[in-house]
Amino acid sequence: MKINKITVTFIVNGQEVTLKVGSKERLLDTLREQLQLTGTKEGCSVGECGACTVILDGKAVPSCLILTGQIGGSEVLTIEGLEADGKLDPLQQAFIDYHAVQCGFCTPGMLMSAKALLIHNPHPSREEIRTALEGNLCRCTGYEQIIEAIESVAKNCQ
Amino acid sequence: MKFSEVNKPVKRVDAYEKVTGKAKFGADLFFPNMLYGKALHSKYPHAQIIKINTEKALTYPGVKAIITAEDIPNNKFGVIIQNQQVLAQEEVLYIGDGIAVVAAETKEAASEAIKLIEVEYKELPGIFDPEEAAKKDAPLIHSELEDNQVVHHRVRKGDVEKAFTQAEVILEREYTTQFVEHSYIEPEAIIAVPYEHNSLVTIYGSIQNPFSCRNAVANVLKVPLNKVRIIQNHMGGSFGGKDEVISSMAARAAVLALKTNQPVKMVNTREESILESYKRHPYKMKYKVGATKEGKLVAMEIKCIADSGAYACQTPFVTWRSVVQATGPYELPSVKTDTYGYYTNNIYTGAMRGYGSPQIVFAQESLMDELADELKMTPLELRLKNIYHNNSITASGQKLDNHQVSLEEVIAKAVKASNYIEKYIEYNKSQLGDKKRGIGMAVSFRGCSLGAEATDAAGAIVAIQRDGSILISSGLAENGEGLKTVFSQIAAEELGVDIKRINYMEVDTSVSPESGATVASRSTLLGGNAVKNAAQQIKRTITEMIADKFKVKSGDLVLRNENIYNKNNNQKIMSFDDAVDLANKLGVFLSAYGWYKAPDISWDEETGQGRPYFTYVYGCQIAEVEVDTATGQIEVLKMVAAHDVGRAINPVTLKGQIYGGIMMALGYGIMEEVEIASGYIKNTNFDEYLIPTIKDMPEIIPIIVENPDPHGPYGAKSIGEPTLELGAPAIANAVAQATGRRIRHLPLNLERVLLGHSLSKGGTKNDIL
Amino acid sequence: MISYEFLTSKKIEEALDYLDKFSKVQILAGGTDLLVNIHKESPRLPHFDYLLDISNIPELKFITLVKNFIEIGPLVTHFRLIEEPLIKGNFPILSTAAQTIGSVQIRNRGTIGGNIVNASPAADLLPPLIALKAEVVLTSKKSERILSLEKFLTGPYKTKLQADELLTKIKIPLLGDGYYTDFQKIGRRKALSIARLNLALVTKIDEKGVFHDTRVVPGSATPYPQSFPVTEESVNGKSIFNIDLEEIGEIVSKEMVSITGERWSTPYKKPAIATLIKRALEKIIKEAKTNEN
Repeated sequence: MKINKITVTFIVNGQEVTLKVGSKERLLDTLREQLQLTGTKEGCSVGECGACTVILDGKAVPSCLILTGQIGGSEVLTIEGLEADGKLDPLQQAFIDYHAVQCGFCTPGMLMSAKALLIHNPHPSREEIRTALEGNLCRCTGYEQIIEAIESVAKNCQ
Repeated sequence: MKFSEVNKPVKRVDAYEKVTGKAKFGADLFFPNMLYGKALHSKYPHAQIIKINTEKALTYPGVKAIITAEDIPNNKFGVIIQNQQVLAQEEVLYIGDGIAVVAAETKEAASEAIKLIEVEYKELPGIFDPEEAAKKDAPLIHSELEDNQVVHHRVRKGDVEKAFTQAEVILEREYTTQFVEHSYIEPEAIIAVPYEHNSLVTIYGSIQNPFSCRNAVANVLKVPLNKVRIIQNHMGGSFGGKDEVISSMAARAAVLALKTNQPVKMVNTREESILESYKRHPYKMKYKVGATKEGKLVAMEIKCIADSGAYACQTPFVTWRSVVQATGPYELPSVKTDTYGYYTNNIYTGAMRGYGSPQIVFAQESLMDELADELKMTPLELRLKNIYHNNSITASGQKLDNHQVSLEEVIAKAVKASNYIEKYIEYNKSQLGDKKRGIGMAVSFRGCSLGAEATDAAGAIVAIQRDGSILISSGLAENGEGLKTVFSQIAAEELGVDIKRINYMEVDTSVSPESGATVASRSTLLGGNAVKNAAQQIKRTITEMIADKFKVKSGDLVLRNENIYNKNNNQKIMSFDDAVDLANKLGVFLSAYGWYKAPDISWDEETGQGRPYFTYVYGCQIAEVEVDTATGQIEVLKMVAAHDVGRAINPVTLKGQIYGGIMMALGYGIMEEVEIASGYIKNTNFDEYLIPTIKDMPEIIPIIVENPDPHGPYGAKSIGEPTLELGAPAIANAVAQATGRRIRHLPLNLERVLLGHSLSKGGTKNDIL
Repeated sequence: MISYEFLTSKKIEEALDYLDKFSKVQILAGGTDLLVNIHKESPRLPHFDYLLDISNIPELKFITLVKNFIEIGPLVTHFRLIEEPLIKGNFPILSTAAQTIGSVQIRNRGTIGGNIVNASPAADLLPPLIALKAEVVLTSKKSERILSLEKFLTGPYKTKLQADELLTKIKIPLLGDGYYTDFQKIGRRKALSIARLNLALVTKIDEKGVFHDTRVVPGSATPYPQSFPVTEESVNGKSIFNIDLEEIGEIVSKEMVSITGERWSTPYKKPAIATLIKRALEKIIKEAKTNEN
């Protein structure tokens, strides 16, 4: 049997975890099935829909196209880690306030892409917001209210 | 009229769990001892199944059970016509037909095991064109039927032949539309749990219509409805798409769960989803229109052919909406419309946002522009000469006399906001360079709710708890559009309480009143009325209780701002909480079952005359585009959308419907197409089936027009589908102005725009790789 | 079933040892192509027993200026190609092309080395890299060799990479004075778009306004990206003041058809490729004229 288990240590939402993962196990699988962090969604498995977006070492990445074996020593932030000390991240609050949520399936990925953007660029233009979210498909909202929500946070940062 | 909770941008009641990742969707549920199910799909679009051998697969480590058609107590189901196979019995009729389903301890084991199932097929010739299927000597897709026709609907008004002889201008055109995938971002997910509580089987998952799902599962299992319990979870989009495909998945999972006595979870990959799930019908539409030189329409003759694919599914009702609305909102003395659905060996087609309207609105609104061109008139002028007004008579002979017919108003508002008149003149001048601009409009009328398709009623339970908190349970399901929020607003409005008191329960078929399906943009109208009805009953109970105790007239009492007042002197009598306490003490029952049945409607299948819908909504959308005439790329610059919704219960969620509908229409118009060659589907994931991204989004200007309808709760009507049906024709009309070339086939992709026709590689999926 | 043993390495040495020791090794870097192929169980994917993850080898993540070359480590992501001043300053065409790839998430993971080795006909970096005369350094435990990128590619999804070799460096010679570059792309939507057609143009314009050393490399036009010598020659020697763009457009279309023959997509690609070269030339000519003033 060639399939091996790999022991890997990384940080998820501020906590260090050491796990045994399969050779085909994607970060998405580890989060959802080993760590029960089901906020990260699986929509296409080929990096096109963005529902599985998480922040890896400060950058938005598709967790369906990363094997967990690859990320030893890294730091992962998921939707479950956005709310700190019982307080919503300003982006989460803005998504509520600006009706940026409909079915909610793309929402975690959208929020993680938006968060990654604001980490590097706290005052993005509308066009920069659109570029940051170009890899996150949404079929319900038509994107407008999502942009408005992110713009409101970007403005408040000033 | 002043409201406290409705007509306001109240925040979504389900937003918190969705922005924190706490909301559980079907695939997020895990049960102890749970197995994973995986279906083996057909290898051919049409073949006889000679033999299925599951022996090898059964020995694969971790495999617990495998079912085939033999194991299904009743293998046929369907909402309208019961001819969809849960698993293929003797023949596979389309490429996504299931043949066997494996339940195994891991997803991997289930996936590997289905590869070990040996199926011996005899490939049969298929029919992939509904016009071929319509031929007399065509082989039968369903051998028990006389021919391949699913349905034929008619509308007959006046004498069309005679009217055409009097027409001064006659135009005949053909339009076609494509297969379209719903593209909900959440793939289908179902978990069947055997013997949970008192139910034989409980089904959780992404279920658009819990009651249709229950009907299907109970029928398939041959058990009474009360043995099957469906609990809806958060659903990651549906747009009409999580109905029959989910019923079939639920039935398969239920059979496996009962066979293994373990919970069985099935989650489709995107590829499985696109391969298996039904699509929006492609239509071939022949339109003939006659008009006077002055631009008055005198006759229209229409023939639409819908590809139903392997099964009937929703084709009978989809084509019915088409037949009713096919002429568009134009006064016509003479009309002859025929819509047909035919079986083929293509993937089956069913409900998708619009439900038979996006196709015909594309044709009829393209035709109006072509006719305007012919008459040397502007598209706006021609429409204004012919649109419905109050008391107009429709093609079906219905007098529009019970609501405000607001076409002129929605057109005027859209025209103004888009600067249509000036831009139309400007873009008619010759434009330099490869990039040319155009502006185009489309208008529609749309019957609200189900219409004469089916009985139309809905129920809701409003229950006040001991502490004054409130539970609502309705049979209509949140699809992501904001139904929970809107229903909570209505209950809060009626009871004069803060919306925070209310918790809207997920649909549970063993508790919630059966309310038909969350379809046809009917939820606010029907379900909203049911919630209102229940809340009103409770209000009456409360006011009568207080009247009795304080010796005042119950009619003088009003519930508002969390209190009960005497309206004569505006004096507060007691708080809502105190009223609940009082009721607890007195043993007064503070729950009610609300019910709303839609007003009577009628339809004569032979003549196509009647009152098909009890009310209508009206909309106008205007698109401004820039076409790169040297590459075929279209950039949609701006969309203006004016919709009469009766009353906006929640103006911000309503705008969300408009933005979303427009983007879906943009995809329909310029990029989306499920490519099918000889029954094989070529684009099975989002890298090949393209939907609009955030970068494709134009500037969108939503305009909400409110003419309260006598039937709607607070006057509210519909919005979900009207937003979707106008975008593609508005864009097509704008492109035609920009390029001077009319494209009569959707989508307006690169090849069609540059060359005037599409290109196809042909062959099967395997040839492409 | 695709099953394999997962190997990971943090050093080139170690990775080369693995490649030497084991056979049927598939290399994993950014994963944006490979993991898609694994998910789809793509028939393009050769059978492999080992997956060697090289994504954490720091030695493969450099961008440096060495004499007259910019040297790029294969693990440099598309994101870095867009951001890095050395690339933006010297080869803006590469940054532009990288910007059109996939989405932010894909650009944060996908690498230049992966784009080269995967050798997709629609790869967005290959046309500019070929036009820039990039070279690839292939290293094995026993030897090292340098090939021009154009020679390295042998067919759609096919390269000369040997089983024991690792792509360890991409070398791009600096463009001298007077060079202009442009990248054009047509997609079916504005993001997440695979090239329906793209085209890289590199050319030198002398002080008299005459084109020299022109390189034209379209993508998605031929089975795999390659330069179009006939078109290049037809541009060389022409002047920015009187070049007949229509004529060049016709030449590039003809040259494409001479390579591919008439295929199902030819009716679209013929006029479209002509448009792309005209637009690239127009843009460069405008730039050159501005510089002159």
